[in-house]
Amino acid sequence: MKSYLKYFLNKFGWFAITFVFAFLLNFILPRLMPGDPVAAIVARFAQGMSNTSGVQAIYEQYTELFGTDKPLLEQFFIYVRNVVRGDFGFSFSQYPRTVADVIRTSIWWTIALQFPAIIVGWIIGNTLGALAAYLKGGFDKILMPVSIFVSNFPAFGMAIILMVIFGVNLKWFPTSGGYGFDLIPNFSWDFIKSVIIHYQLPFWSIVIIAIGGQAIGMRSMSIYELNADYVKYSRFMGIKDSKIVGYVFRNAMLPQVTGLALSVGTMVGGALVAEIVFSYPGLGTTLLRAVLGQDYPLISASTLIITVMVLLANFIIEILYGFIDPRIKAAQSD
Amino acid sequence: MLDGQMYPFLADGDFEWNADRTEITFKIKSAAKWNDGTPVTAEDVAYTWATHVKYNTPTGSANTPYIENIEAVDAQTVVIKAKLGEDGKAVNPLLVEAYLSTNYVIQKAWTEVLEERVAGDPTALLADPAEDVAYSGAYGKYFADDTKVVYIRNEEYWGQDASMWGKLPAPKYLAHVIFKDNAAGTTALQAGEVDVSQQFNSNVQDFWLEQGLPISTYLPEAPYGIGASLPTAFFNLNSPGLDQAAVRKAIAIAVDYPTIIANAMTNQSATFDQVPRSLMNPTDGEQALYDHDAVADLQWAGNDIEGAKALLDEAGVVDSDGDGWREYNGEKLSYVATCPNGWSDWQAAIEVVAAAGKEIGIEITTNYPEWSVYQTVVTKSDAPLPEEGYDIFMMWSDGAGPTQPWGRIRKLLSSEFIGMPSNWNGNWGQYSNPDADALINAIPAETDEAKLKEMYTELVNIYLTEVPSFTLMYRPQSFHTVNESVWTNFPHADDGTNPPVPPLDLTDGWSIAGLYNLTLVNP
Repeated sequence: MKSYLKYFLNKFGWFAITFVFAFLLNFILPRLMPGDPVAAIVARFAQGMSNTSGVQAIYEQYTELFGTDKPLLEQFFIYVRNVVRGDFGFSFSQYPRTVADVIRTSIWWTIALQFPAIIVGWIIGNTLGALAAYLKGGFDKILMPVSIFVSNFPAFGMAIILMVIFGVNLKWFPTSGGYGFDLIPNFSWDFIKSVIIHYQLPFWSIVIIAIGGQAIGMRSMSIYELNADYVKYSRFMGIKDSKIVGYVFRNAMLPQVTGLALSVGTMVGGALVAEIVFSYPGLGTTLLRAVLGQDYPLISASTLIITVMVLLANFIIEILYGFIDPRIKAAQSD
Repeated sequence: MLDGQMYPFLADGDFEWNADRTEITFKIKSAAKWNDGTPVTAEDVAYTWATHVKYNTPTGSANTPYIENIEAVDAQTVVIKAKLGEDGKAVNPLLVEAYLSTNYVIQKAWTEVLEERVAGDPTALLADPAEDVAYSGAYGKYFADDTKVVYIRNEEYWGQDASMWGKLPAPKYLAHVIFKDNAAGTTALQAGEVDVSQQFNSNVQDFWLEQGLPISTYLPEAPYGIGASLPTAFFNLNSPGLDQAAVRKAIAIAVDYPTIIANAMTNQSATFDQVPRSLMNPTDGEQALYDHDAVADLQWAGNDIEGAKALLDEAGVVDSDGDGWREYNGEKLSYVATCPNGWSDWQAAIEVVAAAGKEIGIEITTNYPEWSVYQTVVTKSDAPLPEEGYDIFMMWSDGAGPTQPWGRIRKLLSSEFIGMPSNWNGNWGQYSNPDADALINAIPAETDEAKLKEMYTELVNIYLTEVPSFTLMYRPQSFHTVNESVWTNFPHADDGTNPPVPPLDLTDGWSIAGLYNLTLVNP
């Protein structure tokens, strides 16, 4: 257990260092973009304003409020101090909303859409991939080309095809929104039903693409494992097929688990395409607009969440690896 | 309103200037009530102004150069005192008038609650979401999230007063659904999920001609709406060659405007044959303000390649080294035309402008920076525009409003904006002409209509001769497409309403009258 603690501390140290650098980059990179975000806010207030000094006064007022006139180093320390207090400040692009408020209202839609989609896509994809490798023959011959085709499909293409077929033509599902255009959120069956119906097209547009990619990866891994010496040896030993498949699956899983961790970590970035095509609420379009509008506080806060999620997911996976695969722990603690 | 007139709504009758044009007096309707049942008073109007000044809000800093003070004479009567110049006359009577129709009256009692809540901090005051604000309109907030905003009718609304409509507006709820792009909004309009669409729907006529949907626009035929603003291409007057009016005009007259209007706007703009170019928008009110015959020779409808070539030859801007491109002072004329990336109708228009260059021996390439960069460059008027990348660039100009067309002309031609580090007004090409400046300064105080027409005509003359910028299309104040599968009787041109209900969103000012005309298709 002592070696495991060492392994754990070692990992933790590296993640802490990574976090510090990621945090720095999250702050600096958006601010290196050319352009002046305060000008965009001034533009909003200055519409219809016709005196020149008035516009200038507003500009200076907001430059001061957002601190964009201060040296970058000073801005950084103010940022760190505020973040430690949990205060991400005002959003530039949606001023006077706060960053916390912007993220709070959209993040649940994103998690509710992305997390199940990633898990379902991962499970179905891996099952199909493993089956294809094991069953071979006709199943594999059909699944492989279909998977390659689907996984390389551009996400917006898939979303639009689903929308045109099932939304516009068949009218089975609505084409936009997170719930009915004629409803407001409440605890009624009508509303819940509406949410579920609106969920389907964005959900499947993500899942279908994910299945293809996962299936291809899992199939290759499984084929590799099926031809490994230990499988052949086990067969000679007369071990039951189901037992062997168990071993194979566990070994082939490892890289797939890493992929899953990364997907879960980055999911907060949002399902941009699904959100745009289906006008689905979520963080993806918010983040896109933040980037285009140079909304530093919102970009930094969002990327910080993504950074933390990715690091956390990876950290958990690394720790789990120690349990799943003793070889890794052994190698790391040497 | 689109006819250039102001219609009293909260005010009881028209406003009146005193004889010296230094003070405006108007009365508030005695029927007008806040949603808490208390009357809207002159004191509310005065306190709104005092608050703007005290906290130096955008409205305050914009108007203090023109308005001295706003005072309540009695419960109903308001006096606006204009700021006076050294000559004892109002600095700008037009902008004093404009204050009346472009600002909300905020309840004094609520403002005091707000001031206490923010403890006098101006930033917090402006950032307050005002969830509890008192309102004098027919609808108040019911629900809002990232996907929609819903208003609910105030059942006590004072529009029920006998002096007004004697009843409530028809819809109980108004829902504003937020779409993430135009395509989603168009799909919802087609599906009947949207009653009034204020976005650009390309080929809008297909909805009823091809798809047979109960969808219509304000005008039954192209341009389907009334143009109010003039999306404009500005010349960077510091670019080599573009300091020459002949080069600017040659490019402007060679452009294929019918293609811009057909492609970028899918014919939702009047053509320059229908509404010849000036500084005015296509509304009747503005068109009547200048002498059409006096400037007819200067107006152009585009595609005049030969005319453009002749103009350049005459100015000595010719191709002397035989490479197919003209030179000025020995330098090849080569420009970049630009607009923000993703503004698809503008990009389509800029491509057409660039194509015109090739026809007349001027190389014009296109480039589309992101808006965040574009706006920073274009609005920085305290230094010359960059030498490269912004030779011909698109920006907007003012739409319809109480100061128009004066406000638009000022923003297209006035040199007062040169030198501003953050210029959100206009004249981004940094054009300077003392004659134009003098006319722009004189118009707000002028009351003689014949004299005004003369001054406007002279400004049009300068604009079409000097061509510091040129209009590419006409664009409605807001697009107005309605799907009448649920509600019907939306505003349409010549629908018999008097004064005519404008094709706006039915929630702002006089357009609320449109909500009283609506009826359900299946009651």
